[in-house]
Amino acid sequence: MNITATLFGQMITFVIFVWFIKAYLWEPLTQAMEDRTNKISEGLASAELGEKRIEEANIEYNKIVEEAKQKASDVISMAQQQSGLMIDDAKSTSKKEADKIISLSNQQITQDVNIAKDQLRNDISRIAVECAEKIIKAEINEEIHKAIFDDALKELK
Amino acid sequence: MSQGDGPATDNPVEYISHHLKSLQYGDGFWQINVDTMFFSILIMFGVMWVAYKVGKNVSVGAPTGAQNILETLIDFVNGLVKEAFPKPNKIVGPLGLTIFVWVFLMNAMDLIPVDLLPKAAEMMGIVGQDGKHALKVVPTTDPHTTFAMALTVFAICVYYNVKNKGVGGYFKSFLVHPFGITLAPINFVLTMVEEIAKPLSLALRLFGNMFTGELVFLLIAILPWYIIPIPGSMWAIFHILVITLQAFIFMVLTIMYISLASEESH
Repeated sequence: MNITATLFGQMITFVIFVWFIKAYLWEPLTQAMEDRTNKISEGLASAELGEKRIEEANIEYNKIVEEAKQKASDVISMAQQQSGLMIDDAKSTSKKEADKIISLSNQQITQDVNIAKDQLRNDISRIAVECAEKIIKAEINEEIHKAIFDDALKELK
Repeated sequence: MSQGDGPATDNPVEYISHHLKSLQYGDGFWQINVDTMFFSILIMFGVMWVAYKVGKNVSVGAPTGAQNILETLIDFVNGLVKEAFPKPNKIVGPLGLTIFVWVFLMNAMDLIPVDLLPKAAEMMGIVGQDGKHALKVVPTTDPHTTFAMALTVFAICVYYNVKNKGVGGYFKSFLVHPFGITLAPINFVLTMVEEIAKPLSLALRLFGNMFTGELVFLLIAILPWYIIPIPGSMWAIFHILVITLQAFIFMVLTIMYISLASEESH
């Protein structure tokens, strides 16, 4: 091998080549790789943060649900109490009403019975008197027998 | 790896010597190995084109295709650099990557059948000064290429030595290393040999490996055509290992030499 222009040509080529690779490939790519590393670590950090937040939210959620359940059961038991009271109230009221109605109707019945008894008594006495009149007209003196009928009527009262 | 019948087997010595001759123009200093320059620069432009495309459309998100491959390569080179260098160095990474890619691709030209491109060139009327076909397609089988890279690396080493130790400090390291100042002349000779051996071994190792590799391909090519496929394919498969390994060794040694040069004086 001699020292020729080829040697220097190759050296110049080599230097240009290295410069080109450095400027157009190495630097942008290493920069991109570094950026990616940063991005990934940031992403991982934020993912961790997100996970923590989810955990916190879960705890909060469970607390709220627990509270709501408590409230709901309270409301239900209160409603049950209320309804029991209302039913008892209604029962007693209706019983009173029923008793009232029954006693009223009983009174009515006794009244009706008394009226009917009076009417019957009057009818019987009237019929008896008519019968008696007919009989008496036929054979008996009115003055004598009046006392007897009065006695009989007294007994009916 | 070629159709080595007919004329090749008639005169094997001439066949081989022609294949080992560069396509040269000019005399003396202005002698230009056209084939070496052409193929190495062609490969350079190919790599530059890919590098430019990838570098321009670089994405910070998930990398795809060529960017993925190049990022893996950069990561690999960067790992070696970070191991060797205590403080960050902006030049060594791209230098190592360029060496690896360029040397690998220039070596890989060896896997193209040995007669294919010289024959094609002959058909196009590209012949040597003696009128016969002469075209070396593997730039690394030309010592000009390997010495050019090794000397550039050596120059960078000297630059870092001077930068970190100062001119005086650099010269002093020749005198006191390795036996102390009392044996200064011996130290000087030893360190001189050591320093000169670095680029020399760097250049000759690559050149020697690729030259012999090419020679074996040529020897296989002068065998009868029905024997060629077996040793040819075996050597080619083995050679894939060699070309990768040589590219890797050149890169690693470059990184090591520059890291030694970047050390502060002790």
